Amino acid sequence: MPTLPLTAAGQIILAGILAVAAFYLLLPKPRSRSVAGGIAAGIAALAVFALWTTQAFAKPTQDSVAIVLFVLFSAGALIFGTVLVTQRNPARGAIAFAFVILSTCGLFLLLAAPFLMAATVIIYAGAIIVTFLFVLMLSHADGPSDENDRTREPLLGSFAGFAFTGLVLFCLYKNAPPPLAHEQATHELPFLVLTDADRAKLQTAAARLDVAATEIKALNPTELAAIEKWFEEYKATAHETEDATRFYKKLRASRTDQQAASTLKLSKMVFDLSKATTKKFQVVIDSQKPFDTTAAAADIIAVRDSVRLLNGARELPARNVSNLGFVLYTDHLLAVELAGTLLLVATIGAVAIAGRKGAPA
Amino acid sequence: MIALWHYLAVAAALFGIGLVGFLTRRNMITMFLCAEMMLQGVTLNLVAFARYHGNLQGQVFALFVITVAACEAGVGFALFIVLYRRRHSLDASTWQDLRELGVPQSVDAEPLPPAKPESEMPQLTPAGIKPEEEALRV
Repeated sequence: MPTLPLTAAGQIILAGILAVAAFYLLLPKPRSRSVAGGIAAGIAALAVFALWTTQAFAKPTQDSVAIVLFVLFSAGALIFGTVLVTQRNPARGAIAFAFVILSTCGLFLLLAAPFLMAATVIIYAGAIIVTFLFVLMLSHADGPSDENDRTREPLLGSFAGFAFTGLVLFCLYKNAPPPLAHEQATHELPFLVLTDADRAKLQTAAARLDVAATEIKALNPTELAAIEKWFEEYKATAHETEDATRFYKKLRASRTDQQAASTLKLSKMVFDLSKATTKKFQVVIDSQKPFDTTAAAADIIAVRDSVRLLNGARELPARNVSNLGFVLYTDHLLAVELAGTLLLVATIGAVAIAGRKGAPA
Repeated sequence: MIALWHYLAVAAALFGIGLVGFLTRRNMITMFLCAEMMLQGVTLNLVAFARYHGNLQGQVFALFVITVAACEAGVGFALFIVLYRRRHSLDASTWQDLRELGVPQSVDAEPLPPAKPESEMPQLTPAGIKPEEEALRV
């Protein structure tokens, strides 16, 4: 891999200058628009940016399929983005935008988000069709026109945009952990923290917690004997839950595998939660006071939800839709309802704004 | 492996390109598409973080970003229609009198190149018998 004799900040600045030159040459202007020069400068900027990305952060290792796909989709997104910005015909710009969406959808697939990929393609395909209709309806420009062939401050605008982007990239560079030499040489993919056996254990633990919650809700808070019997069963259930999450004590994630590290942290959290809940029940039962059954049921449901979340962590993308649904309708229910209301209000607003027969100019 | 930071760099670059397009272009529809591209950069950021933290919070947030983008598209296009009815142009610079105090009006210095004249339609030879010849024949 060729290297540039510049520091990381210098490479960012070089990429920024080349990008400003590319956009200044490519943006539609009545005179001094040079497409060939702009394309050359754009390719140079992209090359410097790619070199900086591989040098500043960990070098991509042997997963060549992922590397090829990532480079393909990223380059596609950036190149078609440039085409959208510099294309004078808005209909061709909409087509370029469609390809930007397809490229980012490819990147979503690489990031194990198949539902988001499908949702983005569906929603934006509709949006692009609507854009085409509007362009055909409103834009009658056959020859050169003000809106298509002029730009506001091409040099200063490009400079402002890429100065901001350069600052963001520099902040990324400063905050990224430095890649360690021996970890760059490993060929292994991140190891699987949850095996199928672990998942089965978590599933049974969640089911048993469910049963315990329904049982405690049915009991009378003053029947201390029945409650103590239930508590003995619950201790067995809690022991099974802790057994299912005990794997975090045996495994240690490599420093670059943040997913494995977060799964292990989540399992430790579930373990601690289950132990704390058991201890809380023990204290109340030992004090011989009436037992708050609804609060106890709620606590057990909380433990069961955390076990389910752990079970869903790092599952195959095939289960992405059901896990997303579970998270949406438990943690984010209010946001879902608000989003629905927002869509309704936006529809009404759009019809109200555009349907008005205002006074002509 | 592709680290988180590579995705964040690509998302930042996508956002920057959209920003440049939004600042410089004058066609309202093109400006809107550049704003949508900025939103795509942000969504890519969120999904990358979701992958690398191993939970779905980033994907949930990204879903709401897409929802809000759809609402924004609806209301935005309605506004384009209303603005077009007033000035009969999609040029954002026709609305310059809404600018801040003290900012000079931006005047287009260079004239646009003249439109290419439409070439004359080709004349095809008429088919069939000419009417005068037909009268002679009959």
